Amino acid sequence: MEKNSLLLLSGGIGARMQKSIPKQHLLLFGRPIIIHSLERIDKLVDIDKVVITCNKSHINDLKEMTDKYGFKKEIIIIEGGKTRQESVYKGLLKINTPSVIIHEAARPFVRLKEFQNLIDSKEKNITYGINIPYTVLKKKGGFIVENLNRSNLINIQLPQKFNTEELKLSHINAIENKKEYTEDTSLILDTLKEKIKILEGTEFNIKITNPIDYKIAEIIYKDYILNEE
Amino acid sequence: MKNKNVYIITGASKGIGKETAIRLSNENPEGIFVLIAKDLSKLKKTRDLMSSKSEILVKSLDLANSDDIINYIQSIGENYGKIDFLVNIAGYVNPKSLQETTIENFELTYRINVFSIFILTREVVRYMKTNGGKILNVASTAGLSSRPGWSAYASSKAAVISFTKTMSDELEEYGIKTYVVSPGRCATDLRKLLAPEEDPSTIMQPQEVAETITNLLGKRGDNLDGQNIIIRKQLK
Repeated sequence: MEKNSLLLLSGGIGARMQKSIPKQHLLLFGRPIIIHSLERIDKLVDIDKVVITCNKSHINDLKEMTDKYGFKKEIIIIEGGKTRQESVYKGLLKINTPSVIIHEAARPFVRLKEFQNLIDSKEKNITYGINIPYTVLKKKGGFIVENLNRSNLINIQLPQKFNTEELKLSHINAIENKKEYTEDTSLILDTLKEKIKILEGTEFNIKITNPIDYKIAEIIYKDYILNEE
Repeated sequence: MKNKNVYIITGASKGIGKETAIRLSNENPEGIFVLIAKDLSKLKKTRDLMSSKSEILVKSLDLANSDDIINYIQSIGENYGKIDFLVNIAGYVNPKSLQETTIENFELTYRINVFSIFILTREVVRYMKTNGGKILNVASTAGLSSRPGWSAYASSKAAVISFTKTMSDELEEYGIKTYVVSPGRCATDLRKLLAPEEDPSTIMQPQEVAETITNLLGKRGDNLDGQNIIIRKQLK
């Protein structure tokens, strides 16, 4: 099987967490949040290169940190862009494998098997997602303006897998048309009209964004990752 | 070689370390044993009492020297590709009253009793985290309560207990189990420094502590990690 590359987005600066260090560098049960993902990724035999995009001011800290863990895979740390979309594009320019897995450092609760399922799938573009258990409506000017049927909606989660060339093309297309997207399934859907397969995610795969997420992260780690009583 | 367990035992030249090395090799003769202590000639005597089937390496190391520890563990890790067991038994004491305790005394006590365990653990985990393993640290009942005149030693052993419990959680995802045992009075050279008037034949013997350690490192200890295990002998 051809090897894949993995693009790990680590662009957070800690603003929403009200911390001076980026959230993905905060300790979760003794290790920085980003290390949780990297240690599992390091065990994936079908991944041969990891590209991490981060804020320029964090590059040295991150290099120092990853060196200490003795990862076996090649890890390239580069400066991300001003937006998430720009960071993905800059990362893609360092990748030349047919497929790329994209993950976020702020999602530490992805098990090895979940990465492997993406790799093993024959689909070229795949995302994890979970159903939305609450009501989501459209608003405008402080008023509800449209009902949305939640059974037609999906809460998108990372990691995701894409055909590298198609994703690059989509990004170029988005840049040319000055379009901004918050993640890559919506980008590739809009620009190339490609089908994107959904794999069922888990409610444990939260993105640590706000202080409340960090508070519950240790409980999720013990319950879901360690399987403790 | 991949199937053979690799053991690193510090303080293996005498007392509990020596008895543990002998017992472990007798129970696991196929193992590879790396014995560490300052006194090479005594280490060789321990080696001669171990199973002849075991592969045994002896290494004179001053555990107060962090760089030497790091370099040696890296050489073992690179050579065998893995380390399965780390048994930290080496200890140091120089009991003094507060006013007589020098910075050098306090620092050396911590270097050997605490810092070396931290450094050995950190370096060994690099070679243990892929396959899992067991790390056992020897503390003391002195780490659990007041010991006037032994402030450096007793507080260093309290640090070992705390460090081990933290490692038990921090290393769990790697499948590494950590143990801390706290022997009470045991007939060792270190005990002679703490209680010179005591008759060693009347207290717990190193072999008895070694037996508990060996049990913990085997299958019988699989569900006992992460807690301080006190080893005391009922004396009649």
